[in-house]
Amino acid sequence: MKPKLSQWKELLAARHKKKTADEKNEMEPSERGATDVPYVDIWQEYGTKPYWFAGDYCLIRETVYPLDYQHGCYRLGALHDVHRRWQEASFSHPLSCRGFAVSDLFFFDTETMGLSSGAGTVMFLLGHARVLGDRIIIRQHVLPHPGAEVALYQSFLSDVDYTTLVTYNGKAFDWPRLKTRHALVRDMVPKLPAFGHFDLYHAARRLWKDKLDSLRLAEVEKHILQIERDDDVPGFLAPMIYQEFLQTPHPDRIMPVLRHNEQDVLSLIALYIHLSIQLLEAMRISDPREQLAAARWLEAVGETAAARGVYEQASSKEVKEAQAAKWQLSLLYRRERRYEEAVAIWRDLFNHGSASWKTKAGLELAKAYEHHFRDAAEAHRYAAAAYEAWRSLAKASRQGMEKEEQEWRKRLERLTRKKNKLGK
Amino acid sequence: MKKQTLSEWIEQLRQDPNVVYWHEIEPKEADTVPFPAEIDARLRAALEARGIASLYTHQAAAYEVVQSGRNVVAVTPTASGKTLCYNLPVLQAIAKAPESRALYLFPTKALAQDQKNELNEIIAEMDVPIYSYTYDGDTAPALRQKIRQAGHIVITNPDMLHTAILPHHTKWISLFEQLRYVVIDELHTYRGVFGSHVANVIRRLKRICAFYGSQPTFICTSATIANPQELAERLTGEPMTLIDNNGAPRGRKHIVFYNPPVVERTMNVRQSATKTAVELARQLLVNRIPTIVFARSRVRTELILSHLQAAVKERIGETTIRGYRGGYLPNERRAIENGLRNGDIIGVVSTNALELGVDIGQLQACILTGYPGTIASTWQQAGRAGRRHGDSLVIMVASSSPLDQYIVSHPEYFFARSPETARINPDNMLILVDHLKCAAYELPFRRGETFGGIDVEDVLDFLVDQGVLHERAGRWHWMSDAFPAQNISLRSAAQENVVIIDISNIARHRVIGEMDRFSAMTLLHEEAIYLHEGTQYQVEKLDWEEKKAYVRQVDVEYFTDANLAVQLDVLSNDRSEERGAMAVHYGDVSVRAMATIFKKLKLSTFENIGSGPIRLPEETLHTSAAWFEWKEVPSEFSPALFEHLLVGLANVLSHLVPIFVMCDRSDVHVVPQLKALHSGRPTIFLYDRYPGGVGLSEAVFERYEEILENVKEWVKRCPCSDGCPSCIGVSDTGGQPVKRELIQFLDEQLAVWSGSLVSHRSCEEN
Repeated sequence: MKPKLSQWKELLAARHKKKTADEKNEMEPSERGATDVPYVDIWQEYGTKPYWFAGDYCLIRETVYPLDYQHGCYRLGALHDVHRRWQEASFSHPLSCRGFAVSDLFFFDTETMGLSSGAGTVMFLLGHARVLGDRIIIRQHVLPHPGAEVALYQSFLSDVDYTTLVTYNGKAFDWPRLKTRHALVRDMVPKLPAFGHFDLYHAARRLWKDKLDSLRLAEVEKHILQIERDDDVPGFLAPMIYQEFLQTPHPDRIMPVLRHNEQDVLSLIALYIHLSIQLLEAMRISDPREQLAAARWLEAVGETAAARGVYEQASSKEVKEAQAAKWQLSLLYRRERRYEEAVAIWRDLFNHGSASWKTKAGLELAKAYEHHFRDAAEAHRYAAAAYEAWRSLAKASRQGMEKEEQEWRKRLERLTRKKNKLGK
Repeated sequence: MKKQTLSEWIEQLRQDPNVVYWHEIEPKEADTVPFPAEIDARLRAALEARGIASLYTHQAAAYEVVQSGRNVVAVTPTASGKTLCYNLPVLQAIAKAPESRALYLFPTKALAQDQKNELNEIIAEMDVPIYSYTYDGDTAPALRQKIRQAGHIVITNPDMLHTAILPHHTKWISLFEQLRYVVIDELHTYRGVFGSHVANVIRRLKRICAFYGSQPTFICTSATIANPQELAERLTGEPMTLIDNNGAPRGRKHIVFYNPPVVERTMNVRQSATKTAVELARQLLVNRIPTIVFARSRVRTELILSHLQAAVKERIGETTIRGYRGGYLPNERRAIENGLRNGDIIGVVSTNALELGVDIGQLQACILTGYPGTIASTWQQAGRAGRRHGDSLVIMVASSSPLDQYIVSHPEYFFARSPETARINPDNMLILVDHLKCAAYELPFRRGETFGGIDVEDVLDFLVDQGVLHERAGRWHWMSDAFPAQNISLRSAAQENVVIIDISNIARHRVIGEMDRFSAMTLLHEEAIYLHEGTQYQVEKLDWEEKKAYVRQVDVEYFTDANLAVQLDVLSNDRSEERGAMAVHYGDVSVRAMATIFKKLKLSTFENIGSGPIRLPEETLHTSAAWFEWKEVPSEFSPALFEHLLVGLANVLSHLVPIFVMCDRSDVHVVPQLKALHSGRPTIFLYDRYPGGVGLSEAVFERYEEILENVKEWVKRCPCSDGCPSCIGVSDTGGQPVKRELIQFLDEQLAVWSGSLVSHRSCEEN
């Protein structure tokens, strides 16, 4: 139950007394102002320095890792190899960093107070990692207290090339929230331009949505990148920890969140390396589902030639995904009007596949013979067989499918008509 | 048979012995002025193409006041062209300066939709790229971004402003930077708790406008209430200019009070208002006189509808009469609105859903089944009948309730009084703190900044202690992972609805309507007969978790009526006043409601033909209450007789208190108990039907003496011999003279208190 009006009044009266007493012992907060940085020595030990702007400051922590640093199954310096191979790749792709320098890539992640996208959701940590020629540098911009956002965004925006951020769901999460908070101080800091963006979350979704229960970065780290985190504070505790830090701004309070964020951006490097290899070496992916997904992605971005190679490779395997790969390949052939090759695949699926493949392939064969080869009799033969297969499936699923039923009947009637006309 | 015209039918009605009062409003000519010279030529042409060649005086006055930069509240009856009061200045401003923006607030989505259509017709005619959109829960995500950036006129409701627009103001920069006008239509609906919430939402809106450097002018329109200017000023926190020089023409209007005949003289039982209304409406409809019937509940609406459809089927076809109430799906409502406008539908039976400004054109006759509860509502409903030329007719059919009987036997009470005062209390601490949190989330508070003129630093500091805000360098920042607007509802009723799904056709289930959760307990329990558009459905399964009711079409001879068992517990006793054997208290209570059983009632006779249990979890309401308590049953009464006294007293209170504290009958509940749970003492509780309470029972506590005095006078003056529905109610009292005993009891009680006569402040006082 909410407090009553009278209770409120008492509470407020008590507060008022306390405040007047406090004020006598204390300077005005605005006078105390931002003249000193609490625990500045300890921050120094953590590689953190204040960044001053417009009378206030934010904190910047810089951490360096060697290129040989092994994060899960990858050496992070491998980004250089991956980068080189993208420059040489025969196809383009949304994840390709062709035309950029390695150091252009900013692996970026944030920590916020809560998940809401409204104006009041404070973003208190903006972290990014870059891989240079000789080392990896992580820079984390920390909001030491609310109100210092002018300094925070000034420091962040003058430090980052926002045309090449690499994030995990940044398009939908981090960036809109950053834009929101930036809007509140927009007259005092550099503009926030439109930007290019590698969002690895979408890549992960494409490749692993069937394989993983959840696509949270932590799951991907564990199951794909073999990264184990020790003593990691879970991300959902970050708001609480930050709140405590504001009460007592000792660096040790907030360091666990900084380390968590540090791990996050390192994982983004590993993930980018991994995803790049998956795409660059899609022919060699061992997991058939992943391989199929990679091929479809290449196809979706218009890289048909690259996709075709992967489909061909996948369809030669002795796994059930091979049939799906063949099917995709056949659709590619059809689009390219290579009917002979398409029909060969369909016949194969029609003769050796399950009832479902029989239906799909049979239908395609019927269409091809009707419209392309102009052989109504052959078309009718396939349509009739496919219809039978469809009926057995429909019966098993116990669902009324009147619309499909009608379509089948119409097709068969039309083919019968055509067949008879030719026969005369 | 030759059809009668309305005038002929009116003449016939004059002879009806059940007409107890006849009031006529004289016709009036239109009062117009030419368009101001500066009106954009395209806007003017668009209006002229719609048949608007000049302005009514009130429209012109509103335009001029707005041009001078002042805020305006226009009070206009139904169909007097009120929308032009705001559309004219807004469209003119945008035509002149395309970067200008306007925000329209309507209390419901349906009204917003209506307004968008009307506005877009004018805009299309103007042939100027002005974008006006509705922004509500139904708006497609793809469209939202466009509206935020390019919508000149954003049409929404206060709830959306509260949860979706203000907390996300950084996505609306182009709106807030250039916001010239805020339009608040149906101002009178923003009263009580809801209005107090909305007033705080507007404080937040103004704060954000100030941040982006805009200072919008407010344009409000209101139905007739006692204090439109005061309400508009309190709601917006801005000085207002009142416009009430209505220049629209109107024909002669007849307002008739109709008291159904007494059918049982000893018990003073009258024919039911429902039955009477059906008969009157039937006579009008068979003469093809466009008629609207208002009923006080959803079930009544549907009952009247099915009776009427059956009665006129032969003569005019049943689809020409439709129901209209909350819970119908939007497209169904749209179809009915269109049908009414273009004449395909000539009869409509509605709940107060049509009190608001939904445009359905004008009908010739209007029947109110029972007194709607307030003078303002009555005028609003009566406004549905009225033509610019020619007669219109409003019949109010009294029910046997004391209030209805009082109104029809005291027509001067109704006609001489101004409509109710709409009260809001934006400074209500509980409501204010809720919105202060939202405001702090939206923008940090600065030292010295007020909220709606109130110094809130103490509250802000308190919120710092609570760990919600963080204070630094003279600013209070939101510092919590919560999104405060989400947990604050502007309205009392649960927003969560139960969806009603028709499963008659197994292959094609379809949603036919929805209903708020509380009503669903008694109207959508399993086996309930749910009436929709006159069709009967039986509820087969109520999935309370998923909030879905599965219904199947049936054809049965009965409807259902459920009992709600209510348990009331006192949580705290904050204020008390002892007066001898009696005490009055004020405090917090919890009210737990549980639907227990339902009855099956025969459609034709309302006779009970069966019953069944209801198994649903209880609903809890924490609120404030006032209660009258006696130490024990006074020695001169038997417990049984005293219980009758309490029931009688409660009955009168439930009808008189709303007049005192200005609320609807449903806002305050009165519960008599011979042995209250917390004390074992005879008690009458009156509690606010709003979570947390809204001060209604507090007012009862403060004015209890005056109220009891009026209760006594009321009962004394009632002409019945020993109780009737108009005073202490009708119940089997075993032949004991309850009425006489109650008068005597109150006499003694009041005499003890004052020693003499209590000053005679009557309940007519505003």
